[in-house]
Amino acid sequence: MANQGITVHHGEEINNSTGVSNKKLLMWAFLGSDVMFFGTFIGTFMAYRNKSLVGPYPADTLDIPITSVSTFVLLMSSLGIVLALHYLKESKMALAKLWLILVIVMGLIFIGFQVYEFSHFAHIGMTPQVNLFGSTFFTLTSLHGAHVSLGILWLIFLLYNEYNGNLTSENAIDLELAGLYWHFVDIVWIIIFGLLYLITAGDGVPPGGVPWTGGH
Amino acid sequence: MSILKDLFHYDGNGWWKIPKTSEADENPPHEHPFGGFVIKFKNFITFITSGKGHAGPVYYWVIAGILGVITLIEVWWFDVEALAYLLVPAMLGFSILKFILVVAFFMHLRFDHKMYSTVFVTCMIIGIIIFTLFLFLSAFHGFGN
Repeated sequence: MANQGITVHHGEEINNSTGVSNKKLLMWAFLGSDVMFFGTFIGTFMAYRNKSLVGPYPADTLDIPITSVSTFVLLMSSLGIVLALHYLKESKMALAKLWLILVIVMGLIFIGFQVYEFSHFAHIGMTPQVNLFGSTFFTLTSLHGAHVSLGILWLIFLLYNEYNGNLTSENAIDLELAGLYWHFVDIVWIIIFGLLYLITAGDGVPPGGVPWTGGH
Repeated sequence: MSILKDLFHYDGNGWWKIPKTSEADENPPHEHPFGGFVIKFKNFITFITSGKGHAGPVYYWVIAGILGVITLIEVWWFDVEALAYLLVPAMLGFSILKFILVVAFFMHLRFDHKMYSTVFVTCMIIGIIIFTLFLFLSAFHGFGN
């Protein structure tokens, strides 16, 4: 609905020449740039796949059942944030808060799994400097983990505002932007889980490589 | 012939009432094996993807359920040795499917202004080009060896 340059979309009044929310457009542009960012790191990981000449190799380290659980938790957190936004828009504040808390908890669980995985890898001798697999794996997954951690901080800030009454259905766009960011973090993990874990988990010693004899 | 006619032609009285031709029953409601299910399902999909209805919690739970099932299929596929030769295309396909579901429905891009889609898809195309170039460089120049 347009009226003298003012557009109303999903309850939000937009007063500019594009007819779309500047905040939201900026968020999509940021997410677009992040696609290129992660695309480069995923591309690097795939380019260096099977190029490590010393172990540990993916087949020696990656634990698919554990990562499947953390992937499922992150997927469900995406459901949580979309429900939190839905209830916030309907001014059902108790449900909105509950789902936002659940999303934060699920995000923390995901980070917990990542901390466990990293410490386990370090324990068996897989570190960023040990080989190409280690370097590309840790760079990509820790950057993703940093994104998740930032998302958790953002959601905690929004939850604090919600308790103070500063986040209501009137400014639900603030939670919507955080939600877009959170969903993006989720879809990046969807790609990482498929390419980095499921496809490479079977990779053993490449031609010319030295078999890995075990950790510490 | 009379028995066949009785069995397969609707005469308006028989308890079997099997409409065989369009002449026997104009616009038969749901002649296919699944009754009205297919039409109702198509209407439901049209409704939830058209943007006419406001999405509710049930809609989001359905999408999440589909995402969960796809993840389970991925993990199952990974464990089946007989399907290992199809692992890479299958995982790429499943990842793309999940990506589209989240972006289109959870991120609301399916229902939102086209400008958001344009910005995001343009950046994605550039990202895919970068990704592909890296793989080509790796394949033909062999860096990392």
